[in-house]
Amino acid sequence: MNIGKSLILLVVAAVLTYPLVPQSSDYIIHVMTLAMVYMILAMGLNIVPGFCGLLDLGYVGFYGIGAYTAGLLTIHYGLSFWVIVPLAALNGALWGALLGAPTLRLTGDYFAIVTFGFSELVVLFLTNEIWLTRGPLGLPGIQPITLNLTWLNDAWYFEFYDKTPNFYVVALLVGLVFFIMRRMEDSRLGRAWYAIREDPLAAASCGVNILNYKVIAFAISAAIGAVGGAFYARWSMFLSPDMFKFWESFLVLCMVVLGGLGNIKGALLGAVILVSLGEVLREVLSSLGLPPESRFMAYGLIMVLIMRFKPAGFFPAIASSGRSNPLLIDLQKRLAARNVPKEETRDAAT
Amino acid sequence: MTPLLEVNGISKRFGGILALTDVSFNVIEGEILGLIGPNGAGKTTMFNCIAGVYKPTSGDLVFTLGGKSQRINGRKPEKMTELGIARTFQNIRLFSALTVLDNVRIARHCRTTSNFFRSVLRTRFQRAEEKEIVDASMRWLDFVGLGHHALANASSLSYGDQRRLEIARALATEPKLLLLDEPAAGMNPKETRMLVDLIHAILDAGVTVMLIEHDMKLVMTICKRLVVLDHGTLIAEGGPKEVRENPQVIEAYLGRGAAHA
Repeated sequence: MNIGKSLILLVVAAVLTYPLVPQSSDYIIHVMTLAMVYMILAMGLNIVPGFCGLLDLGYVGFYGIGAYTAGLLTIHYGLSFWVIVPLAALNGALWGALLGAPTLRLTGDYFAIVTFGFSELVVLFLTNEIWLTRGPLGLPGIQPITLNLTWLNDAWYFEFYDKTPNFYVVALLVGLVFFIMRRMEDSRLGRAWYAIREDPLAAASCGVNILNYKVIAFAISAAIGAVGGAFYARWSMFLSPDMFKFWESFLVLCMVVLGGLGNIKGALLGAVILVSLGEVLREVLSSLGLPPESRFMAYGLIMVLIMRFKPAGFFPAIASSGRSNPLLIDLQKRLAARNVPKEETRDAAT
Repeated sequence: MTPLLEVNGISKRFGGILALTDVSFNVIEGEILGLIGPNGAGKTTMFNCIAGVYKPTSGDLVFTLGGKSQRINGRKPEKMTELGIARTFQNIRLFSALTVLDNVRIARHCRTTSNFFRSVLRTRFQRAEEKEIVDASMRWLDFVGLGHHALANASSLSYGDQRRLEIARALATEPKLLLLDEPAAGMNPKETRMLVDLIHAILDAGVTVMLIEHDMKLVMTICKRLVVLDHGTLIAEGGPKEVRENPQVIEAYLGRGAAHA
């Protein structure tokens, strides 16, 4: 257990220092940045199907809303990235709540179809409202992320055209979202969500207002997706509606399922696996003379294999971060100190 | 004295079927009331109406708490729980992927208030509340005798223990009225004896108990008063002895029901 933990820390440290190595390749940094964008999306999406057990096929809609919010605010108002992130999150949460409040009464497939429709609606809006989004022409000329520290030192004004600083910005965001997710998971809020996922009727009987908590889940999930979008806009410096097609939702959903529904670390792992797989397939498929679109078939095959051999994903455990809460560690000690006679437990089991 | 819960002419219709027809009875504070009847008599439907899962088609449910009476029919299950009506389920409905402790912690939901911001910032208030949640949960787990299993997975418990965990979860919502839907179903004689003791302990803790049960021996020994339903109508009400000798009850259990089937 401890060896595993230090191994993970070692890998994280190695990845974080990689861009500082003089021989580092821009391509690898780019792929890692992309993987981290998907980590944010996968963690955010995880809240709805993972914590609450609702199939959400329209997550990319919120990603798109966040991206265009950031892009438009940058172009028209020149706002700083650090102001835009919370604004994009709020806008995402707003649309999440607006979509969720009327539709979260639906269950299962019906809800999935509504979310799917929503994401298509977002793409149609971005394509057709040319006065706002320039439609299919896309939104070029978005400024890169800047960091204005002139209040500390007159020379400290940075524009992040380079790959490396962007890498660290997204790493910071991943860390922040991860922290928030862990805190939420081990709280009254997270427990209410898990209760809804496990058994809605029993959750209601425990006093959980199901509709409210689903809407909260949807709004927070949307806000995280929008944060991912805001970074993406300032990083790629160009947006177009076809970046937010349904396919992206499905890819993020695959990441969550692959890692384990409801497990935060699983979402991270799923993002790493599928993003790197995409890059590998790009090379392999072109060398085989296959069109790049055939990678979809490879993704499909992988999903089939996962469903067959690891239907619960790589990390099936849910509500696991609570275990490291000092309260529970303390409780564990107290329980051990009680030293329950073994006969009693065996009795109850028979 | 006003009854804790007054069931006043409750009817429940599902399309063309009348599951309950004009049922009236009272639940008096501090008693164990048994709700019995043959299969399909409408006992669980009655529970679901009281617990807020179903909205009665007509009639009134009046809940009296601290001298204040209120009409509660049609309220949502979470509102009923908040008010002080907790229930267990006929088919065990635990959050089986979570730990025993988490199952009970979720039941503290309606008595706690921490929201998203407090949870993320982990304020002093939130930490104190979390501690209170764990302590209260452990108190109820110890109460039903599952304290030492607190960190085990709920699905790893034996059947009888799962039933007791459901009771602990219901108790953790601090109810005034506890609805137990066939608590002894599937229990062995030893577990049933422990259940009887547990129900008496619940009563001593100041919680009124209403239970559906098919184990007649259990019902006759622990209930001072019984309500008998058949085909959605109330056919008898009274002490165990009266009810046992009531010809309508005997007919419902042995005669007419068998002939119809």
